[in-house]
Amino acid sequence: MPRWRGRLPPAVRSPSSLVVIAALIVLTLLLCGCGGNMRADELGRSVGSLGSAASEGSLLAQGVVQDRTKTTFVRVRARELGETVEHEAEKLSDASAQGAVALAKDRAVELAGSISQALGDLQTAPADVAEARRAERTLRALADRASRLAAEQA
Amino acid sequence: MRGILKIALGVIAAIGGYLDIGDIVFNSQAGAVVGTSVLWAIPVGVLGIVVFAEMSGRIVAVAKKPNFELVRERYSSRLSLATLIASLVLTCLTLAAELGGLGFVLNYFFDVSVNFFVLVALLVVASAIYFLPFGGIERIFGYLGLALLVYVAAAIKLDPSWADVGRGFVPKAQSGAIYWYFIVGLIAAALMPYEIYFYSSGAVEERWDEGDMAVNRANSIIGFSLGGLLAAGLLIASAQVLRPAGITPDSLGTSALVAQSAFGETGLLLAFVGILFAVGGATIDTAFSAAYNLAQHQGWRWGKRFKLLDEPRFTLSLAGFLLLGFAIVQTGVDPVELTEYAVIFSIPVLPLTYLPILLVGNDRAVMGRYVNGPLARTLGWTYFGLICLLAIAAPILFVATNGGS
Repeated sequence: MPRWRGRLPPAVRSPSSLVVIAALIVLTLLLCGCGGNMRADELGRSVGSLGSAASEGSLLAQGVVQDRTKTTFVRVRARELGETVEHEAEKLSDASAQGAVALAKDRAVELAGSISQALGDLQTAPADVAEARRAERTLRALADRASRLAAEQA
Repeated sequence: MRGILKIALGVIAAIGGYLDIGDIVFNSQAGAVVGTSVLWAIPVGVLGIVVFAEMSGRIVAVAKKPNFELVRERYSSRLSLATLIASLVLTCLTLAAELGGLGFVLNYFFDVSVNFFVLVALLVVASAIYFLPFGGIERIFGYLGLALLVYVAAAIKLDPSWADVGRGFVPKAQSGAIYWYFIVGLIAAALMPYEIYFYSSGAVEERWDEGDMAVNRANSIIGFSLGGLLAAGLLIASAQVLRPAGITPDSLGTSALVAQSAFGETGLLLAFVGILFAVGGATIDTAFSAAYNLAQHQGWRWGKRFKLLDEPRFTLSLAGFLLLGFAIVQTGVDPVELTEYAVIFSIPVLPLTYLPILLVGNDRAVMGRYVNGPLARTLGWTYFGLICLLAIAAPILFVATNGGS
């Protein structure tokens, strides 16, 4: 049985030491990796997000084609995915890059535009089966392109 | 039937804890990113929360003391205050995230505006808290949250490789930071402090005494195991649907799509009903937890078992925390991101929440013949060590893996 008999030992009673240690760890970690040109792995992650959105959009459109979903859900989710893609495109446009990464970044921005447009079509007509079939095919192809581009950055 | 109704506290505490907005997305992410290899973390977390929930329920039954009364008694006043502040920040951030999550789910049904439905959710939750008895709240939100069993059915229907699923339950050491990020996250999800705040205070609300030891055991074991089962179902189904498609979930909508892939529109609707009540339950868990903690720390009279208008300080703080959560989510912050910030604030709260339970549970002078036996004592200290480790590892892995991406 410890001598402090069920209470904390005096050395760890001070909250300030715990808070300072936790804050320092978090701050140090958060400051790591800020600034500078975009690296290939960062671009790869960004393109991965675009591919994920395209793939999810394709799955969403498949639900419309198979009449297995709810129209309002398709519209709202397609809008959310479109916003995610546009946000990613803005981040890519704002980032500075050099050499091969810069070229790949431009391709990623273009890809984002195509994904955003296909998602917009799905959002506009979430009950239109023919439109959904087109969107499903387009988004699947765009997801494949994103996957290849992300693999090139690995 | 009466037996089933008696485990409502464990069910709402577990579903609200295991399957709040952050955990629903996190479990889907785990399945999508690393597949079923991380499944073993779920029973590890379940055992930990069962050990501490059972202990805290037993303490309430014997000593009538919920978690924050133990914190106040066992810690110095400064450490007790620091624990209170950290726990309030954590629960308020989580509360805001849950309210935001409710807004998103309702908007998937009706497509008006997320902010409008956050307001609707606030009013509905506040009305439920005011008008329903404690038992009614537990039963409505706990049992309707069980619509999430659609994910267990989906996991079975999607016919995964059961050999791989079985292997996923065998712990193994892998070198990738992503793998450990999800292991730590899945264990930590089971041990979120507000589950214990709500569970121990709920036991006081239900006036447990020494005759309720079996009820306590049933609540902790069945309730939290059920939470673990639902989490495992969601993870396995996500591994089947999202992983092959290369989808990394970032919202409740993606998790709902998993159920739709298995059962079409019916699956989608069941998933949304389950998410609505699980996240609604988590909203109520966190709102009550914040008010309970403040009242218990300050020594106020508290609880839904009394008339709320007879306890103005407790009632005002409950209303204040709900409004604070609403105000935070109105800033436009992403609810899923909010739960990630909450993880940072859980660093000091996790060990500080669980230590007093263990100290009192081991104290024969308080617990008498209900003191922790050798098994509970050993498991308690082992899990306390694990909790300290998690508290250090979680933020490091979060940054190292860029939030699991």
